[in-house]
Amino acid sequence: MVELVAEKHAQYIISVEKKKDTFESVVMEHLRMNGAYWGLTTLDLLGKLQVVDQDEVISWVMECQHESGGFGGNVGHDPHILYTLSAVQVLALFDKLHVLDIAKMLWECKMKMDLFQETCGEKLIQVCCLSLLHQLDKIDVEKAVNYIVRCKNLDGGFGCTPGGESHAGQVFCCVGALAIMGSLHHVDKDLLGWWLCERQVKSGGLNGRPEKLPDVCYSWWVLSSLIMIDRVHWIDKEKLIKFILDCQDLEKGGISDRPDDAVDVFHTYFGVAGLSLLQYPGVKAVDPAYALPVDVVNKILIGW
Amino acid sequence: MTENDPMCSEVETFDLLDQLHQILDCDPLIDELGFIHPSQLMMLNEGDSRLGSELSTTGEVERKNNIFWSREHKLGISTDYLLPLYKAAKHKFMDAYETYKKHFSLSLENDNMDSSCAFPEIEDEVMKNSKALLLLSSDFGTAWNARKLVISKREDFLISDELLLSALVLSLAPKSESSWNYRRWVIKRIARRCSTLEDIVEKESELVEKIAEKSTMNYRAWNHRSWLISYMTSEQALRELNVNKHWAALHVTDNSCFHYRRKLMLRILGDVSHGKVADTCITQFGSLKLIWKDEVDWNEVLIRRYIGREALWLHRRFLSVYWVKHFGTAQHGISPLPIEKGNKDNHVSVFIDNEVNLVQDCLNLPDSIFEDVQSQAIHSAAYLLWLNREILSSSTINLDQKLGADDLRTLLNKICPEKITVWDSLLREKTDAC
Repeated sequence: MVELVAEKHAQYIISVEKKKDTFESVVMEHLRMNGAYWGLTTLDLLGKLQVVDQDEVISWVMECQHESGGFGGNVGHDPHILYTLSAVQVLALFDKLHVLDIAKMLWECKMKMDLFQETCGEKLIQVCCLSLLHQLDKIDVEKAVNYIVRCKNLDGGFGCTPGGESHAGQVFCCVGALAIMGSLHHVDKDLLGWWLCERQVKSGGLNGRPEKLPDVCYSWWVLSSLIMIDRVHWIDKEKLIKFILDCQDLEKGGISDRPDDAVDVFHTYFGVAGLSLLQYPGVKAVDPAYALPVDVVNKILIGW
Repeated sequence: MTENDPMCSEVETFDLLDQLHQILDCDPLIDELGFIHPSQLMMLNEGDSRLGSELSTTGEVERKNNIFWSREHKLGISTDYLLPLYKAAKHKFMDAYETYKKHFSLSLENDNMDSSCAFPEIEDEVMKNSKALLLLSSDFGTAWNARKLVISKREDFLISDELLLSALVLSLAPKSESSWNYRRWVIKRIARRCSTLEDIVEKESELVEKIAEKSTMNYRAWNHRSWLISYMTSEQALRELNVNKHWAALHVTDNSCFHYRRKLMLRILGDVSHGKVADTCITQFGSLKLIWKDEVDWNEVLIRRYIGREALWLHRRFLSVYWVKHFGTAQHGISPLPIEKGNKDNHVSVFIDNEVNLVQDCLNLPDSIFEDVQSQAIHSAAYLLWLNREILSSSTINLDQKLGADDLRTLLNKICPEKITVWDSLLREKTDAC
């Protein structure tokens, strides 16, 4: 039985960070903030965050912040809430949220979002950010919940907007947001659990929608949703663990979307996070809604 | 060619970029982009040579070098040159954007500066270089933002240019969310100006279908197409439903396509129930009930023909719920009045009989190495469970009686025993927790 090659994955992540001069790496430049979040959270889950130069990372993160408070994907890039959330999450990993100007963050995460928000993915980002900054009371929670409930479909799943096709990624966004807002009672847990457990295919992997191939990233989206609605026992956990482990590159480290494909940081993170949810030994516990290590979330939400 | 090759000196990379600009200028109708391995590029060039030199027509540039290949509105770029091109485009774009933003904020401070005719050269630099950059990196959000900024200052921007650019980007990167997003932004701007969007909506729909052919089950493409529904007239929605049928039948695993059909049907249902559909329109396509029945029957034909296709069964789940709910005992259209319980149950009973028939046929298929018989059995049993939970929970009809030998639980347990916990949970009484 293949095991988790944690050390190799840590080395892979560090090597990706350094490799910046190929076409494949430059076309990811604009989302480096997301990459930082995926890589650093993986390192933390594997108990290896200390290998990183914390000051260097934080200094780069802050360089990506704009006057308005929002963060760009990289230095010189326009701000976008997707990168703002990743920046907040990275700062959370290092327990440095206090460096942020709350007033500016409020503008970015509340006012601007209320004007432009279009999808429930953006709603999760808003809710997650504000919650980590202890500002969740600044939004109209009932209105936010109502919007998400409108994204619920007949099949029990959730789409990206009201009436959108059910998609595991969107399900995670909606269920996560409802969980953070203490409103999971709006979910038909049996019906959604059914839709989610139907994502498990013969190989043991999970797909994101009917008829699609399994992909390691759905080990996160589907699994965390199942955990939040207390239906994780509806899938075959052993088979899923085996699927994730089979997606590893045992030589060079890193995890791919499915066995024998090329690895990347995105799938490495979701594979490790999925294993964490499945309580794989040697991996720290991860919070299914905030997608950060449980000890980090606890320190922020309870430690203040 | 490696990154250390002298070809990649700074001057030469900007020359590369100029070449790309020239090609794009000479053929503004380029509609397909690809990154080609150098050996393939060589073969293409050799092929052109063999065909002779009578290739170029007015406006096309003949490129017989080892970097670009451009013919008949197609553009190929050698993978060896992508990195230097990207670096040059990004450098020029970021510079131009920075300059543009500075000038723009200056012009805001000086009210007497006429911003509508200010700095056209800088605008041009931003547009030219953002275009090149986006072809190489489709989700470079800052570049899309820059185009939005420039365009929102101009009343006269060419919609076709922006739609062409995003379509070109999508030809290479059909899942690029920023590109789909950008198209919606552009269309919303047009919508404010035009009284009818029918033409544009139709073309958008066709574009999605073309992309969906090559990029199957593309969530973002279909999501975009679904977004168009709110800009359609009822007639258009009905036409789409009809026209799409042929494509759907050839792509029975494309769940996104069937979701699109569901949205169209819900739109039509909504319009009819709010009295928004002209009589002529409905009679042309038959009553709403007939449209629904047609879809139900067609779905059954597909289910029987294409064994084990999940998307077809999921479509049936939707169709059955709405069929029972809306097309009770009414003769035409939908019945707005509460239906007498006895009559409704009778109608539902007849419908369920047909469904049980279908399921039993699907459960008893002969084993085959060519067909996914096991999946067909699982999907059909799950469909029964759906009917039981979503339709029959509020009626007096007993599904187990209709099934005969094996009751539903036994059936599910036989086909999928590892999921017995799931089946038991779903078989119990629905709570009001939703």
